[in-house]
Amino acid sequence: MHMADALLAPAVAATMYAASGVAAGVSVYQLKKDDDAQKLPTMAVTAALVFAGQMINYTIPGTGSSGHMCGGMLLSALLGPQAGFLSMIVILTIQSLFFADGGLMALGANIWNMAFYGCFVGYYLLWRPIMRSRLFAGLGPRGGQRARIALASVLGCVLTLQLGAFSVVLETSLSGVTDLPFGAFLALMQPIHLAIGLVEGLVTAAVLLFVYASRPELLQDVDSAGEAAGKRSLKSTLVILAVLVLAVGGGLSLLASSDPDGLEWSLFGNAEAGYSENMGLDEESFGVHSAAADKAGAIQEASSFLPDYAFPGSESPAGTSVSGVVGSALVAGVALLICLAGGFFRKKKSH
Amino acid sequence: MIELQNVRFSYERERPLIEDLSFRIEKGESVGLIGANGAGKSTLLKLLLGLIQGEGRILVDDIPVEKANLSQIRRKLGFVLQNSDNQMFMPTVYEDMIFGPLNYGLSREETERRVDAVLERLGLQELKHRHNHRISGGEKRMAAIATVLAMEPEALLMDEPSSNLDPYNRRIVINTIRSLPQTKLIASHDLDMILDTCDRVLLLSKGRLVADGPAAELLRDRALLEANRLELPFSLAGRGS
Amino acid sequence: MLLICHIEVIMNKMQKALLELSDMDDLAARSSAIHSLNPTAKLLATIAYVAVVLSFGKYRLSGLIVMLLWPVLLFQLSGIPVHLCFYKLRLVLPLVLAVGLFNPFFDRAPLLVLGPLAVSGGVVSMLTLMLKGTLCLMASFLLMATTGIDSLCACLRKLHFPGLLVTLLLLTYRYVGVMTEELAVMTEAYQLRAPGQKGIQHSAWGSFLGQLLLRSMDRSQELYASMLLRGYHDHFHYAPERPFRPQDALFLLGSLAVFFLLRFVPVAELLGALFVR
Repeated sequence: MHMADALLAPAVAATMYAASGVAAGVSVYQLKKDDDAQKLPTMAVTAALVFAGQMINYTIPGTGSSGHMCGGMLLSALLGPQAGFLSMIVILTIQSLFFADGGLMALGANIWNMAFYGCFVGYYLLWRPIMRSRLFAGLGPRGGQRARIALASVLGCVLTLQLGAFSVVLETSLSGVTDLPFGAFLALMQPIHLAIGLVEGLVTAAVLLFVYASRPELLQDVDSAGEAAGKRSLKSTLVILAVLVLAVGGGLSLLASSDPDGLEWSLFGNAEAGYSENMGLDEESFGVHSAAADKAGAIQEASSFLPDYAFPGSESPAGTSVSGVVGSALVAGVALLICLAGGFFRKKKSH
Repeated sequence: MIELQNVRFSYERERPLIEDLSFRIEKGESVGLIGANGAGKSTLLKLLLGLIQGEGRILVDDIPVEKANLSQIRRKLGFVLQNSDNQMFMPTVYEDMIFGPLNYGLSREETERRVDAVLERLGLQELKHRHNHRISGGEKRMAAIATVLAMEPEALLMDEPSSNLDPYNRRIVINTIRSLPQTKLIASHDLDMILDTCDRVLLLSKGRLVADGPAAELLRDRALLEANRLELPFSLAGRGS
Repeated sequence: MLLICHIEVIMNKMQKALLELSDMDDLAARSSAIHSLNPTAKLLATIAYVAVVLSFGKYRLSGLIVMLLWPVLLFQLSGIPVHLCFYKLRLVLPLVLAVGLFNPFFDRAPLLVLGPLAVSGGVVSMLTLMLKGTLCLMASFLLMATTGIDSLCACLRKLHFPGLLVTLLLLTYRYVGVMTEELAVMTEAYQLRAPGQKGIQHSAWGSFLGQLLLRSMDRSQELYASMLLRGYHDHFHYAPERPFRPQDALFLLGSLAVFFLLRFVPVAELLGALFVR
């Protein structure tokens, strides 16, 4: 689910960086206010553990495949949403810098898609309300708590992965790098991530249940005495959840079934100035001249960071011409020469 | 240098881990702290460093170990942890070595001078810019000792400094410890190492001081050692009784 | 040494990751003109490069190819073999390909006719996408292979990133090595007792990582004690950053100038025109 640099336009990447940056800034501020010096080493060690733990393959019973653990939910259940979010940022940064999982430009988007939803949405919308509820009270204090942990883990992973997958589709489409219609792309991504989310949720639940059995005090919002806090009813939470599920589910099916091209234009044509930067190419690819497209094009021309250059004496402004092909081949040859020359000189030096 | 008067420590409602402990360590002494697992060796070291608080009085250089004095106390006492990975938390050896001195307000120049002096003294110049997760277990232990020495402590507390080392590296660590002039308190199960590095031994059992005497004498007392779940040092077993 | 290319199948994922990590450290520990540049200058130049690469339109393949020159030249100057970063492409390319593969199906209008061969827009845009992925990877690999985590953190601090986040990055990086090693050993031990299993069986789903998690909590306590004993108050000290010298400014400004030149002047076309017409 890591976005790659290539799938993003600079404007989209910058927007996602800004959004993730604000969330990170608020988290740093809130953690500093808590002034818990012990938290820093705990965050570091737990983040490192999750980093390594995501490499474990868990065999899914009855199938030949394997699944992984969901870092965001696990971290916020152990450290709280703010500390969990910052830990996820660090994990994603190391993954992108040292393992090329994600990318330098895509980091902002990846933080949003994986860390923000997993930590904040998963925690505030699911983990905390469910932990504080009287749900499953009939199973006894410990049994109820176990059931609540399992439910929150599975629901949290499913929901956050759905949101993440949706964001990936949205960001890629807005970047204008794919010709795959938005609806079709969505219809491809969401069901796959529903399955992945279920498995991740079960694995995450298993780990958290193990922690609950041995050191319940390590979990956020879990009463270690095993009694349900029962401070408020779950009704309000369930209402929020139901609305959310309806909105996401209904919205997705609506989008998936509507005319994809129409949708794409509604998205791109009405995009705000920030998004229409660098989007000028869609005009060419679709060849549609609508009022909205003209408007977007005008905004693009006025505000674009690097307007597409149309150079004189060539057949197409996109720069795909015979001379372009020949020139490219020449450049590739020069690059190869540089490589060979470097190797040659190094060999000479070492002799 | 270090003085304990009737020190007692327990976690809530549990059996006390340290009970009525009193002893004195003079400046320049090398003292071995021995005892079976759970005898209270690590707990005692943590009490001295003020990481946990117990009852009774602990004095380091006549300064009581209390919250207000902790920064002063910890500057005097260097602690070498059993697990060097937990001690060396920065990416490179160099960054770990400058961490302590800079925190205590030393200038960059003075810190650099100390780092280089310590590395040269221990023959570790080559390790300076190496990454902590790229050096061997033996090098890591020596580097951990170097980070502590860079703070120029007056006394050294060590928790199992020879554990998990091959004979060659163990010997290097032992020789290094012997060459250090500081007051030393070394907790270990490695009685041969204690015999090589310490003049005096404190034997703990279930949080109490069972014996206190010269290393050469105490470590020869097979009955005493075996009664406390320990064994004669290997080097003495052959010649003994 | 650089073993990345010769990894045996027996290794588990964690061991491979450890190897990748230590290879990057080894590369960053080398010395060259590029290694000795100020990390802030390198970081900014890399970000600018990636941004410029991504700003190319979806059919501007020829423009992008010219962008290849910058990383290739720098790889040579730094003495880091280019082929090393291609191992990491295994993560980038499949994803990019998965998205780009649809383009040839949806965008069939011929964009370029070379004699009897007509190339559709979809094919060009797919190739552009893959080239973008490769270029971005080369640039960020180059940055990390010549900079190292400690210099990077010092530079982030200088750029006023929150201290908490930078310190967390530094500490986490250190313990990623420790934790990955522990899990590698545990995985090996598990596989020895469960031959033929591809992963962790569901009965051990919780306890496998859970055990290590509990031990890690104790570890973090000891780590904290170690920080306190060395006088930790509220901020970390980093290795001093390399000074920003005139040659760093020259490198940064020169790189930026080159990027803008390559972005706006169709070098490939002009070069080709010399031969074609």
